[in-house]
Amino acid sequence: MSGRHMGAVAADQPPQVAARGPRLRRTLGGAAVPLLAAAGLAAFWLFPNDLGLMTRIAATALYVLSLDLVLGFGGIATLGQAAMFGTGAYAAGIAAVHLVSDPLVLLAVGGLAGGLVALVTGALILHARGLTLLMLTIAVVQIVQEVVNKARDLTGGSDGLSGIEPSPLFGLFRFDMFGRTSYLFALAVLLVGVLVARRIVRSPFGLACRGVKEDPLRVAALGGSPRRYLVTLYAVAGVFAGVAGALTAVTSGIVGLDSVSFSWSAEALVMLVLGGAGRLVGAIIGTVAFMTIHHVMAAIDPFHWMLFIGLFLMGTVLFLPGGIASLADRFIKGNRA
Amino acid sequence: MSGTFRKALLGTVFVCALNAGSAWADTIKVGVIAPFSGPFATVGQTFKQAIEVYQAQHGKTVAGNTVEFVYKDLDQANPAQSKALAQELVVKEKVGYLAGFFFTPDALAVAPLIDEANIPCVIFNAATSAITEKSPRYVRTSFTLWQNTVPLAEHVAKQGIRKVATAVSDYGPGIDGETAFKQTFEKAGGKVVDSIRMPLKSTDFAPFMQRIKDSGAEAIYAFLPAGPTTLGFARAFSDTGLKAAGIKFFGPGDITQEPDLPVLGDAAVGITTTFNYSQAHDSDLNRQFLAKHKELFGSSDIVTFTSVGAYDGAHVIYRMVEATGGKSDGAKAVAAVKGMAWESPRGPVRIDPESRHVTQTIYLRVTERKDGKLQNTEVAGFPDQPDYGFKAGK
Repeated sequence: MSGRHMGAVAADQPPQVAARGPRLRRTLGGAAVPLLAAAGLAAFWLFPNDLGLMTRIAATALYVLSLDLVLGFGGIATLGQAAMFGTGAYAAGIAAVHLVSDPLVLLAVGGLAGGLVALVTGALILHARGLTLLMLTIAVVQIVQEVVNKARDLTGGSDGLSGIEPSPLFGLFRFDMFGRTSYLFALAVLLVGVLVARRIVRSPFGLACRGVKEDPLRVAALGGSPRRYLVTLYAVAGVFAGVAGALTAVTSGIVGLDSVSFSWSAEALVMLVLGGAGRLVGAIIGTVAFMTIHHVMAAIDPFHWMLFIGLFLMGTVLFLPGGIASLADRFIKGNRA
Repeated sequence: MSGTFRKALLGTVFVCALNAGSAWADTIKVGVIAPFSGPFATVGQTFKQAIEVYQAQHGKTVAGNTVEFVYKDLDQANPAQSKALAQELVVKEKVGYLAGFFFTPDALAVAPLIDEANIPCVIFNAATSAITEKSPRYVRTSFTLWQNTVPLAEHVAKQGIRKVATAVSDYGPGIDGETAFKQTFEKAGGKVVDSIRMPLKSTDFAPFMQRIKDSGAEAIYAFLPAGPTTLGFARAFSDTGLKAAGIKFFGPGDITQEPDLPVLGDAAVGITTTFNYSQAHDSDLNRQFLAKHKELFGSSDIVTFTSVGAYDGAHVIYRMVEATGGKSDGAKAVAAVKGMAWESPRGPVRIDPESRHVTQTIYLRVTERKDGKLQNTEVAGFPDQPDYGFKAGK
């Protein structure tokens, strides 16, 4: 009670009232990775017949996570994240067909390619903001798609790049048709991705990026370069997207033009908004929720499932504008009252 | 007392054994992966309806096994999702056969899977020649662009036409068509005066029409994805006066597929195409097929090449089930249909043992209005056309 009084006096954030919320959130945040690992492993035992889908979910979650870094933490409005995802997937695929077959090396190749594309295009387009930037990111993804389509000898064009056969993981675990290796591999990569992303978000660099998102002028006035922060963030997220693309290529054995499409970018955005942008768990919750519902609905009614997905999305946006992850906040707030 | 007991026990064991025996034999599942929602939903619809027509005509059991089709929606070309769906069908649904596939990359994606699981995959549409080279367990009942284009190019050359411009959409099938046409036509003594590749998403075709005009071609060979793009192209062709100038319009039959004809309208009249199936095909089997379709679904207007692809695909699967006695053995099943020949609603067909692709009559058709409805009237047939693109290289 007294806390509330004191808080009301303070002009800035009421420190003592807020104290319980963030502390609880931080505890929850700390538990997020072990919880995620436990849930992932539990799913491995519980749904041994759905590993194919679950592998795709894990790889997609990493991709949506990359979008979260850009949009949720940097405030960069983009509909072009698939450019990095697809470049990573194609780079890994081409490397697998012609050069190497070690899955870990392929992920590195994908990450590098994704990061490079993001760095170059980011440096070119990140002077713009808002809708202009949105348009430019769409242009980038369209250009990359057309380049991939034209480079038919290398990429297979619209037939897709097939024949990607990664060697066994660590020379021991073969990528079999039941998808056990694929799933555990994808889950492990996702967990590492979340840990790294968390470090980045909590680092001074991550805080600076949030600062740019809130008020670029103020960051500039403090002597920082907003654009440099954003380009770096964009490139880092590009690495994440590239790794996610490579992971998809390695686990599915094929890459298609859809992986560099505008609609794949937009779908990531839908999943992120569904889960809750601006928090890393949101990206994962959103992906899991969207893809699971998509899968279940499409299995029940392969002909009209889109309608139900639409209703579900509308419901979420209407009743949970902060995304599914904001449920936790409500819960915490509810507890306090 | 104990004697009766022993008999009862024996009887129970016997009955159990019988049940166990029929448990693996009684239902054979076939997983069909195709677009059932989104912009290509018609394709999945034609697949499903054709399969239902086939089952209505031939029953749901073959050699004592019930054949059940399980449908999975893949609304656009998405090979990674195709692989995941196929994996689910094989591992979870325990399907003995995979089928469907509209887009090439989706079909290619399952190659490693069908080899590891040793199950056959019957492709109802995906038309890139190279697919069947990627696994010995692929069998295809549709067509390829090479198969349709080679007889067309020979026909054009025979008409005394010497100068042709090709105009294709800039993607895999388009390039296949262009290459097939150019090779065949130039071998027959003609000349391709201009090869135009149009971006897939083009909506304004006037500049390409100008190029065709400038090239001095007597005819064009065009291939675009069916639907709005073809419509735009055909409209521009007549609007810019090329049609009136007497330039002839040739192409593979996908561009005038039946569901699109009402949309294409009079712009389609006079287009000469080659294809493996026309709804207007004159045979009893085709009439029975259409009649059954109409009886089941109220209308047979959307019956098109994807319908016969699925109908004949179902036929191939039935023969495979028969040959393997309901056991799952992909290699044996595929071996059983190699060289198999039968009469289809599209005409006589046969599975070529080497390419595992359907060898068939390719018909020359002209789009015309008959009784107020547009149709592809077959004017000539070129029998026994194989897939000329098989191992034709890249």
